[in-house]
Order: sequence, then structure tokens, then C-alpha cells
Amino acid sequence: MVQRFRASLISTPTASLINLVGLAIVVVALVATVQRVATAPGGATYFFQTMGFGLALGAIFALVALGYTMVYGIIELINFAHGDVFTLGAFISAAILPIFGLTEGRTFGIGLILPLLGVFLVTMLVCALINVGIERVAYRPLRHAPRLAPLITAIGMSALLEGVMNVWRGPFTLHYPDLLPEYQIPLGGGVTIAAKAVTVIVLAVVLMVALTVFVNRSTLGKAMRATAQDRDAAQLMGIDINRTISATFFIGAALAGAGGIIYGLYYNSYSAFDGFTYGLYAFTAAVFGGIGNIPGAALGGLLIGVIYAISDGYFTVAWTQVLVFGILIFVLVFRPTGLLGMRVPEK
Amino acid sequence: MVRARGLAVLIVATFVAFACGTSGGGNANKGTIDIGSDLPTSGADASSGLPTQYGAAFAVSQAGTVKGFTLKFVPYDDAVNGKHDPTKGAQNVQQMISDSKLLGMVGPFNSGVAAAEIPVGNQAPLAMISPSNTNECLTLAFDYCQKYAGYTAASLRPTGKNNYFRVAANDTFQGPAMADYAWDTLGLKTIAVWDDQEPFGLGVANNFAKEFTKKGGTVVARQGFDTSSKPDFHAWLNKAKTAGAQGIYAGATSASYGCIPRQESQGIFDPNSYYLGPDGIGDGQCIKDSGTTMGNDHMYASQGVADANANASAATTIAAYKKAHPSPDDTAAYTFAGYDCAAILIDAIGRAIDKNGGNMPTRQQVIDAMATTSNFPGLTGTYTLNSAGDPTTPALQVQQYKGGAWTTVKNIAVTV
Repeated sequence: MVQRFRASLISTPTASLINLVGLAIVVVALVATVQRVATAPGGATYFFQTMGFGLALGAIFALVALGYTMVYGIIELINFAHGDVFTLGAFISAAILPIFGLTEGRTFGIGLILPLLGVFLVTMLVCALINVGIERVAYRPLRHAPRLAPLITAIGMSALLEGVMNVWRGPFTLHYPDLLPEYQIPLGGGVTIAAKAVTVIVLAVVLMVALTVFVNRSTLGKAMRATAQDRDAAQLMGIDINRTISATFFIGAALAGAGGIIYGLYYNSYSAFDGFTYGLYAFTAAVFGGIGNIPGAALGGLLIGVIYAISDGYFTVAWTQVLVFGILIFVLVFRPTGLLGMRVPEK
Repeated sequence: MVRARGLAVLIVATFVAFACGTSGGGNANKGTIDIGSDLPTSGADASSGLPTQYGAAFAVSQAGTVKGFTLKFVPYDDAVNGKHDPTKGAQNVQQMISDSKLLGMVGPFNSGVAAAEIPVGNQAPLAMISPSNTNECLTLAFDYCQKYAGYTAASLRPTGKNNYFRVAANDTFQGPAMADYAWDTLGLKTIAVWDDQEPFGLGVANNFAKEFTKKGGTVVARQGFDTSSKPDFHAWLNKAKTAGAQGIYAGATSASYGCIPRQESQGIFDPNSYYLGPDGIGDGQCIKDSGTTMGNDHMYASQGVADANANASAATTIAAYKKAHPSPDDTAAYTFAGYDCAAILIDAIGRAIDKNGGNMPTRQQVIDAMATTSNFPGLTGTYTLNSAGDPTTPALQVQQYKGGAWTTVKNIAVTV
């Protein structure tokens, strides 16, 4: 239905004109950016540092965006509680860090990486199970209800999760233990990049590659893709739809939970209401990359992060939010399928 | 026999006590006078609001009575969901007004709350005295007030008469005081300034930048951040560093992520770079947010009141307070300003009672007595209040975080 609507939008005679205007705007924006980047003080070092901040932020956006896009792909629901599952990842991991013996002041090495791996596994599992529970309670009973009903329960779930975290740890900004290495990696020629940003990017990329392999190679991944394409046909082929949808929520939340830990490790601060804004950015990233498209969400997230950092670093912070959410509107108007979204042929 | 005599003594003693009471001596039986307070005492603001409430409560309990009336302290909390809330504050004042025995209130803590409360209190009228409101537009007329603060001193007072007082120095002093300190004492030449886009943060940041430039310094980066949710400061901090900033001035409070940039500037700024701000960041939450890898001893915050510890005659009271509240979290920058507010209010009520022939005074009489407060010896300073409600000789302090606490490094007296 949605795809047919998009297809009709693209195929109308005015569409080519709209696309032309959109292309012109993109070219102008790119030229202005390149010109500003080339003439700004700080040179290459400054550029790489800014890109480092942008990619680190973008990696976090991407991890959250993946969950949005997977859930949308399979049941066409925008899971507004997803941003709060992400925050929950930060909360849960902060609570279990001491159990794994991770406290501030540890030197970076194998003694830190192994317990951190344990923290990742436990947090991702807990977040995943909670998200599966959310799907079971708030979305599955409404699967055949009008589209608006699960959207409302999603917003309700978001408020509920925020409320629980608020009661748990209070509305304060909380400090997340500082565990990652704290030095600048030289890239040659005096150009450096923060090791912390690199760690965050590497962690996120590893998780995203694992997800891609899983979806493309495993039987469950195949079932997920089949369900996303045509739920009824998949069911006729003997795929357990409920189990597949649960698995989608499970994997999406595991990634969001990991994103929450990475968020904590990178910013060293977190609070109960952070997830709402991050959810909005991640949603924008998912739409940017093409909602329902897994590599698209990863690409969209990284790009939104880079745009955010370039706007902050080379233009002005005041325009960053306008720019990012302007992109959301821009993409919906000029390219509703997103960067990597498939153009559905006319039927 | 012995028992009978004991009984007789008891009876006599009771009569004597009764006689003393009726003759208007020290014992309180004229009734009760309530002293209200409105401060944010839950959630994120509690780290500064609660110690202030303790200070005011301590002043009331120390006085106990005034001219034969028993004093009772009635605290209200203006935080909703953990943040100070102007609407809740105005409701609290409404509730205080409905309490006929309540003659005055200490508070509010935040300038934004004061703007909502003053018109309500003004119509009652109810005497208000704030330990910590620093927005200059609450009491003084500037041509930019309507535009930036959204109100003027006159628009907050529908009756045209003043009912609001404060002991804190207003924002026109806090920003410049820190700018002077940064230039004269810390020797900073270049600085980056950001603000949280709220009236308070924007005001102090602008006043800081103005004075720092006047001194000869350079503001290499100036930025406002939307702090309705936590922004990512990394890219801007890097921009500020690349532009040559030796330090950062944050026109913000801990509730508006005031010290998050300190944490995020690790790897960008030197751990021994300076981080400066107004009273809003001079609390424990700021230090928690700053983390441990950036030098916390290079963080400075101004406070709109002087340090009570510098006043030798305050030592006994401070020691008594610390005995009653041993936890270090119970003493914050405005604790003794809260104490002074309650003490000034009690003093004014006392003079109003005298003027009313020893009877319960009206609220207007209390306000009139407040307005004539002259050379009141408080813990944080000697206070004379002018007709606008401001102290005539406000005092400030600059605090540095060292040895695990915000410590006064300089008291600054201002003559208006």
C-alpha cells in the first residue's frame, strides 16, 4: 500500500521536475559545504577530528536506526519505544558494570575487554527480551487493528519506559564510568583522531556486519526477509510469522541495547529522557537511508552523524537540528524511498 | 507530707508560669505565625534547593518565637518531574496566601519561577524574599527586559507596589565578576562562551562576554545550545579549541547540562584548561557530570552571595547548623543566604508586630517593615534593602572546586 503510493508519486509527470529541483538543492548544499570545509581554519586535522565525532555519533544513530527499520520492514510499525529501549541499554549496563568488576581507572587491555564483552551480552539479551515482551503485550494484539492503534501503544510504551527509568534512577543526568582509552591516534602528517571515537565506530561496524551476515545467510534471516516481503505468502510457505516477528524485535533491541552501552561509553553521561531525541534522530536516519532497508539505515545513521558534526563544526550549532530534520522533510518530499530504498516498478 | 508539699510547689509553679504568659513575657501564647518557603526540593534541582530550605528552616527553629508568637516553618516544593516549575510555584504561593497565619515566604530559588510567583504574591500582598534569584529584570527596569526576559519589573507588580525582596546580587554582576576574575587572576586571554538559551544562562553569558572583551580579552567562539535535550558538544568544543580558546565559560546550570561539555572536552582540551560558569554550575551535580579525567580543580563558579565563612561573627551559627546537618550535601552555596532570608523576614515581622501594638500584623505591615530593613547583620553580609527590593551592597564570591568541595577563593563586594 505504502509502496504503491510511493511508486505513484515517482511516476507522475511532475516527479521528474521535483527530482531535478531536489538534485539542484543537494548540489548547492554540497558545494557550499566543500567550500566552507576547504577555507575553514584548522585544516586537515580539524576535518578528521570533526569527521571522527560525526562518525561516532552516526554509529550510535545507525545502531538505533537498524531496529526502527527492521521493525518497519516487517510489520510497517514505527516503534516509538525503540529509542527508550536504547536508553535502557545504558541504564542496564551501568547497573551491571560493577558486577563485572568494571570501574573507572582500569587500563585498557584484555582485562577490560573480556568483562566488557560480558556486559554487552547481558545488556543486549535483557533489552532484547524486554522488547519481545513489549511486542507481545502492546503490538501483537493490535496487529490487525487500524494502523493508528499500535502507533499509540508505541508512544504509550515509550512513556512507560521513560517513567520506569525516571523512578529507578531519578531525572538527573547520570555519570557513566569512563572506560575507553583516552588518547589521539596519529594518522600521519600531524593529523590525529580520538581513540574513543575510533573504538565506538569499530564496535558499531562489527555489530552491523554481524547483523547483515545473519539476515543474509541464516534461515531465520531468510524467514525475516520473506515475512517482510509478503507476510501471507511467507506463512503459506510454513514460516512461523509470530516467531519471526519476535525475532525481529529481539535483534533490533539487542542492537539498540548495544547502542545504549556505546552511548554511555562515549558520552559518559546518560539520563532517562535521552532516548526520545535519539529515537527521532535515528528515525530520520532510517528514513534517509530508506525505511525498511537494513544497509540503508546504517548508511543513513552515519550520514546524519557526519552532517550533524559538520554543521556543528563548520557552520553553526543553532542550525544543526533544523538541518537534520529538514533532511527528513526533504527526503520524504524528493525521494520517499530514501537513499537505498528500492523503487517499486509500476504495476 | 512530703508528697503534699511537692504538689503545692507544682501548683504554684503552674500559676507563676501562667502569670508570666499573660503578662506578655517570653513565652509564646499569642498564637502561631507561619513562615513559608518555596524551593525546588526534589529531582535534579534538589541538590541546591534542599540545602537552602534547610538553612531557612534552621533560622526559624533557632528563633522559635517572635514577640510572643510561635513560629512555624511551612516548606513547599516547586519541582515537577524533578525540575523547577513556574506553574507549580505560583500554585504554592496561592496556597500560602490561603493560610491566614502565613506572613511571608522565603524563595523562590529560580528566576523563572519568581516571574510567575511575584504577580500572585503581589496581589495578596505577600512578602517574598529570595536567597538566589539573580535575574536583573525581576527588580530593575532595563529596556531589554520585555524582549529577552518576557517581563518587566513593573509588569510583575500589578498593584504597582513592591512585595518582593532578595539578598542575591543580580546577573549584571555575576558575569562581569567572573570575567574580571578570569582576566585578572587566572590570566586568561582567549575564551569560548556558550549558553543554554534560557533567560538566565543567556544573560550571564552575554554579560561575561561583554566584560571580558572590555578587559581586552577575546571571545573566540560564542554559541547557544538548545538544551531541551542533551546536545552533542564535541564538534563545537573542537571548534573552540581550534580557534585558540584557553577555557570555556558556560552560561548554563547543571539542570541544563552545564558541565557535560567539561566531560566531553577530554581529548580535545587539556585537563588543566579552565571551565568557568555562574552559580548554576557550582553544585555537586556539575562535578558528577564533569567526570574524573578533566581537572576538576580548574573549574570555577561565581555565586550571587558572599561566603558566610568569611564573616567571623557567623561562625557560631554555621557551627550549630553543621552540627544539626552533618552531611556535606546539606550545605550548598545558598544555605546561609536561605538562613539570612528567613532571619530578615522574622526581623521584619517582629518590627511589624511592635508597630501594630504587639498584635498580629497585616501582611502589608510586614512588607512595609521589610522595605525598611537597614543594616541587618546576616551571615552572608549586612543587608539594607532598597525600595525596588534589592540589597544596596550586594556581594558575590568566586568558588573553585578543590579538595572535594566548592571553596571560596574570592569575595567581591559591589557598590551599586
